[in-house]
Amino acid sequence: MSEMIRIEGLKKNFGKFTALHDVTFTVKAGEVVGFIGPNGAGKSTTIRTLLGIIKGDGGSAKIFDLDVWKDSLEIHKRISYVPGDVALWGGFTGGEIIDLFMKLHGGGDQAKRDQLIKRFELDPKKKAKTYSKGNRQKVGLIAALSVEADLYILDEPTSGLDPLMEAVFQEEIAKIKKEGKAILLSSHILSEVERLADKVVIIRQGKIVETGTLEELRHLTRSSITLTTEGDVAVMENVKGVHDFSIKDGKAVFYADNESINEILLEATKLGVKKFESVPPTLEDLFMRHYEA
Amino acid sequence: MMKEKFARWHVLCLNYFKRDWKKILIWTLGLAAFSGGYIPPFVEISKGQGLIGLYETMRNPAMISMVGPTPITDPSNYTLGAMYSHMMLLFCGLFAMIISALHVTGHTRKEEELGLTEIVRSFQVGRQANSLAVLIETLGINLILALVTTLIMTVLKVESITVTGIVLFSLSLALAGMIGAVVALVMAQIMQTSTGATGSSMAIIGLLYILRGATDVSNQNLSMMNPMGWTYLTFPFTENNSLPIFIGIVFCVVLAIVAFALEGGRDMGAGYLPAIEGKANAKKSLLSVPGLFFRLNRGLIISWLVAFVVLGAAYGSIYGDMQVFLESNEIIKQMFTMTGVTIEESFTSVIMMVMIGMVGILPIAIVNKLYAEEERMHLSQLYATKITRSKLYWTTIVLSVISAIAGIVFAVIGLGGTAIVAMNGESTMTLATFMKAGFNYLPSTLFFVGLSAVVLGYVPKIGKAVYVYLGYSFALNYFGGMINLPEWFSKTAIQSWIPRMPASDFEVMPFVTITLISVAMILIGYTGYIRRDMQEGA
Ligand SMILES: Nc1ncnc2c1ncn2[C@@H]1O[C@H](COP(=O)(O)OP(=O)(O)OP(=O)(O)O)[C@@H](O)[C@H]1O
Ligand SMILES: [Mg+2]
Repeated sequence: MSEMIRIEGLKKNFGKFTALHDVTFTVKAGEVVGFIGPNGAGKSTTIRTLLGIIKGDGGSAKIFDLDVWKDSLEIHKRISYVPGDVALWGGFTGGEIIDLFMKLHGGGDQAKRDQLIKRFELDPKKKAKTYSKGNRQKVGLIAALSVEADLYILDEPTSGLDPLMEAVFQEEIAKIKKEGKAILLSSHILSEVERLADKVVIIRQGKIVETGTLEELRHLTRSSITLTTEGDVAVMENVKGVHDFSIKDGKAVFYADNESINEILLEATKLGVKKFESVPPTLEDLFMRHYEA
Repeated sequence: MMKEKFARWHVLCLNYFKRDWKKILIWTLGLAAFSGGYIPPFVEISKGQGLIGLYETMRNPAMISMVGPTPITDPSNYTLGAMYSHMMLLFCGLFAMIISALHVTGHTRKEEELGLTEIVRSFQVGRQANSLAVLIETLGINLILALVTTLIMTVLKVESITVTGIVLFSLSLALAGMIGAVVALVMAQIMQTSTGATGSSMAIIGLLYILRGATDVSNQNLSMMNPMGWTYLTFPFTENNSLPIFIGIVFCVVLAIVAFALEGGRDMGAGYLPAIEGKANAKKSLLSVPGLFFRLNRGLIISWLVAFVVLGAAYGSIYGDMQVFLESNEIIKQMFTMTGVTIEESFTSVIMMVMIGMVGILPIAIVNKLYAEEERMHLSQLYATKITRSKLYWTTIVLSVISAIAGIVFAVIGLGGTAIVAMNGESTMTLATFMKAGFNYLPSTLFFVGLSAVVLGYVPKIGKAVYVYLGYSFALNYFGGMINLPEWFSKTAIQSWIPRMPASDFEVMPFVTITLISVAMILIGYTGYIRRDMQEGA
């Protein structure tokens, strides 16, 4: 059972609106998967379906090889979850809520709880209604990280955290990763995904548009090229794999498909290359492409 | 400085009118139709000897404690107009007061909690502009209400319904609304949360209602010191006394100033009752689903149980005056000796239905709470634990049923205990008589649990509709006690299937049938709840 999560062709409608068209991806044991996509893409909806909070309308979703809707009880014993919006009872203190969650989850570690409260610098004696957004998020995180689980599902876990706390969070996740636990991490923050994730799944308008390791995804994108040649550089515009071509001060600037680099180089050498600069694609470019298009 | 505080309030106010127009339409038309539209049916029932008969019924202290007094002392002066304002004004005013109070808390404390105020205040808007805008909006709405009521009554008018009376009647309603509004505005400043603000305003309104019930029977001058008294003590169509309206206006202005002063002195999001530092660890009693649900509903349960006892005690205190009332009137005396039912028993059977009807609010509120928690996403993280939906559902149902039973016990003890003391051993009625009469209505209370459960399972968004049905059956029973409604019509209220003890005898059939129907509804609700999507925010 090396697959912790297996989703195939998952669909979900809210009335007439289709939130998930076709969601397919897997999370393997010991893997940290970054789940990214623009607002309203369907990340939280996918996650809620995985947790049996809502019911999928088609396709299948399994965790630990069990059906997420029918066997949710069995699944829930071994997972830990932080919702995208941590909403707390205003009248309870942060400490009370963490204790309550740990107890109802079962298998909590009191020492770990206290240590996390210290690390995240949370005042557990304050009523939840006085907490800021970041502090509410900390309550959800501490509760979820203090219990034993094989799979962690975190929906935008660092939203509202300041950079210092984000660093603490990343260290904690790194620890869990080291223990061989699987993590599904939805996020908008690039550096977070880059640092933690082994694999990235990109969702847009309810469809998975890209899946793979960071390396694989980088490969899919275009490099930015600056080229100066002895001959007329303008002919390069018609070479296959060249995009957004422009000439400035005799320098050609364009994007090149990574799989066409060889051909482009061959063409360029015919003109006599004076200068060739290639900037590898950043993940940023990749994300922006998916976020904007 | 003054101007700055309230800067651009009119923009907000206009915006509220735009945003709320549908609500305003339903509110004013509905309440005005209810307040003014009953003239034709009242004309029907007052035909022949109807008015004189009603006059005698309505002089019963129990009736006075519910609907208020009339200044008429001679039955022949009890005109249709006199009866209309006697029976309708207090009840309608009470409605106007409650709706206005809810509206004001909704636009002040609640929006503050949701963070809307913060956004608005970041624009060029004064610190206190919102409160002023809401207050002016509510004033506008209540004036529209008065206008529409005046129109309706003018159209339907009969001879004893005079124009002066109509205007006074409508203005009394508007005043009632504004009293509710300013009370709510003050509570919105004092309390920490919107639930606290709503709860305390409702408690104050309830208390004023109960107090006036007691003083109306014992000493009417004291009712004149009660803000709720200023609405119906205008006595439209009889004395046409406008003094209470003026007192009321002064009262509203003073309370509004108090509210603005309190608001000026506090931070946004804070209240006047201080927040105390809490515990770093949860008590053991909290650490289970039943423990959690009890804690979440604790405030609600305790305050309603107190309200039931107080309400019961208020009605119970009337039992002492009943004999005096009976001695004073030969016809009534005959009426009761003929049927073989004592006046106390007859009163008990009516009042018990009214009180247990009110007890229904508590179990409905508890079942609805589960959906409120779901929608506010408080349970999100718990759904992903080994806690099942069945556990959440059944814990709620059990808590709701236990609270319903406790509600009946408390109401009965309040009523029966006080009544027995007030009667001073002059009656054969014991606490057991009251208990039986109260528990006779248990099925109707369970019915409300069942109804809320079905709604929770299948159409949770309309949870408030169950209150509407409760209010409907309550009103039907309330008016059914005074006028004769068609059988099929009164049977649409669940309580009317149950014989009224102790005046009537206990019947097994309806008791068992309604209980079984309720259980079935609870099971149906369960099948929906475990299958549907949880609604989070959307
Ligand atoms: N209960 C619901 N009823 C109707 N529509 C819903 C519901 N829940 C989500 N949606 C819609 O489904 C779509 C996907 O929403 P979802 O919350 O999954 O997005 P997301 O990827 O988590 O976005 P974000 O990054 O903003 O958190 C949105 O268009 C949203 O409006
Ligand atoms: Mg989301």
